[in-house]
Amino acid sequence: MDFLYTYIVLAEIYVLLGLSTNLLVGIVGIFSVSQAAVFGVGAYIVAHFMMAADPLSFIPSLAIAAACCIALNILVTLPSLRVSGDYFVVTSFGIQLLATAVFINWTVGTGGANGLPGIPPPDIFGLPIETNQQYVLLCTAASVLGCLAFWLIMRAPFGRLLRAIREDETAVAAAGKNVLRAKVSAAALAGAFAGTAGGLYATFLSFIDPFSFDLDASILLLTMIVVGGARTLAGSIVGPFLLLALPQVLTLVDIPTTIAAAARQLIYGLLLIAFMLFRPQGLAGERL
Amino acid sequence: MTAFMQVAGLDHRFGGLHALRDCSFTIEQGRITCLVGPNGAGKTTIFNVITGFLVPDEGSVAFRDRKLDGLRPQAIVRAGIARTFQNLRLFADLNALDNVMIGIAGQFGEEPVGAIFRPLHTSRAQRRRRQEALATLDHVGLADRAHDVVRNLSYGEQKLLTVARVLATGAELLLLDEPASGLSAGALDAVMALLRRLQSEGKTLLVVEHNTRVVQQIADDVLFLHQGHLMAQGTPERIIGDPALAEIYFGGAL
Ligand SMILES: Nc1ncnc2c1ncn2[C@@H]1O[C@H](COP(=O)(O)OP(=O)(O)OP(=O)(O)O)[C@@H](O)[C@H]1O
Ligand SMILES: [Mg+2]
Repeated sequence: MDFLYTYIVLAEIYVLLGLSTNLLVGIVGIFSVSQAAVFGVGAYIVAHFMMAADPLSFIPSLAIAAACCIALNILVTLPSLRVSGDYFVVTSFGIQLLATAVFINWTVGTGGANGLPGIPPPDIFGLPIETNQQYVLLCTAASVLGCLAFWLIMRAPFGRLLRAIREDETAVAAAGKNVLRAKVSAAALAGAFAGTAGGLYATFLSFIDPFSFDLDASILLLTMIVVGGARTLAGSIVGPFLLLALPQVLTLVDIPTTIAAAARQLIYGLLLIAFMLFRPQGLAGERL
Repeated sequence: MTAFMQVAGLDHRFGGLHALRDCSFTIEQGRITCLVGPNGAGKTTIFNVITGFLVPDEGSVAFRDRKLDGLRPQAIVRAGIARTFQNLRLFADLNALDNVMIGIAGQFGEEPVGAIFRPLHTSRAQRRRRQEALATLDHVGLADRAHDVVRNLSYGEQKLLTVARVLATGAELLLLDEPASGLSAGALDAVMALLRRLQSEGKTLLVVEHNTRVVQQIADDVLFLHQGHLMAQGTPERIIGDPALAEIYFGGAL
């Protein structure tokens, strides 16, 4: 039964990441391939404050992580205001590689390639979250709140503005709107989602290493959006639940563990290509 | 007493191409002014300068005694000048109503904090704005197309929609880049009637137009642009009747 809980908790954490990525990539059209880096920073910051000599509890740590990730995501998104589409992908790619290099080499802060063990479990205002059921409850609450925020935004004038920006920034400016402010707001929101996801992830697994936040992870997030469907709430939920089920399915099929990881990557890659070619709108969304 | 809008000494080069040369003119409030001139004369470039999309090498634009130089496009819209684009630039995946609503200024819930934390207020405010946008669509004759996606509208309807979008901004001075080109006779009459109606409601219009018949019917005042320079300004009869200008305009073909 444990694996089912793990699956649900991870999928819900990835729903927050899916919302973050969908907001930026799907809705505003800022093609970021560095969302895993922001996710990682959130995870490391929560771990840092909860493991400090004078530790903070979970909620304040998460608030700090979210604030830092808001700032960081605005910063890494800013180049998209200067360089257009294709060029931004390259910039974003560089940001992801840079982040991974820091995660691996800044041993004092991150534990380096060996990772950071012993992260304490979260608590909600003194109430410790220790059992699997409690974790599921916490992550369900977080992802439901995330989905609610996403839904409210998409039906508000802000959502319409973001969609219009993806189509034609110049026309949005000509209509009297501040494109820069809207993009920065979207980046901030995406940063808050990713940072929160990072904090939940770190405390749930109690161990993090740089390989959870590398380029593969960023590409997995994009694959989730493509498979689930861009620009919709449903797409941001379906993608994570479906793609994270894959490793579980692979454990049922009798393949040696040594090639399981490679097989997973292979299937993710094939899915990405197949959907882009044959169903660009994903299972429950619009074309990217 | 100064002019409603004053354009003074605009000069701009694109690399080796001298697109605007010491171009100056004024626009009077409440009038329809047509900007004419051969292809490549610099008409759209002037629009780009006035609306803040292009910073000219030299020259200045003043609106209601206020210098607009250096303002961002959105600030110029707030100052009261809005423009359409020759190539429309509608939001193709949005419906007609949403295209108009993008133009409405100062909406509640246009940033995430209001949208997330005051959802009821946001939707109440939206309902009012939607009525406003529907009225604007009705005004240009597109009320029955409100929920159609732009890509399903005819070209004529799309042109009307671009006018509805600038109307939604509430700007007093509307710069329309070829609102009548490429239209069928019926659609052309609809656009001309609309421009007249906007004028009667107090809007001031600067319209780029190639069709001399349209210019004669709607213009109070005509600006003739040639190679980035304002060659002449006057009534439609005087400008269109001037053989020297006709020679330039039609390249001596007539
Ligand atoms: N961004 C730009 N870069 C380089 N050249 C430009 C640019 N914009 C306009 N031009 C050139 O400046 C000149 C004036 O262009 P503009 O679009 O203002 O002409 P126009 O009068 O609107 O013509 P049309 O009737 O064809 O719309 C043209 O020769 C055009 O090629
Ligand atoms: Mg033009």
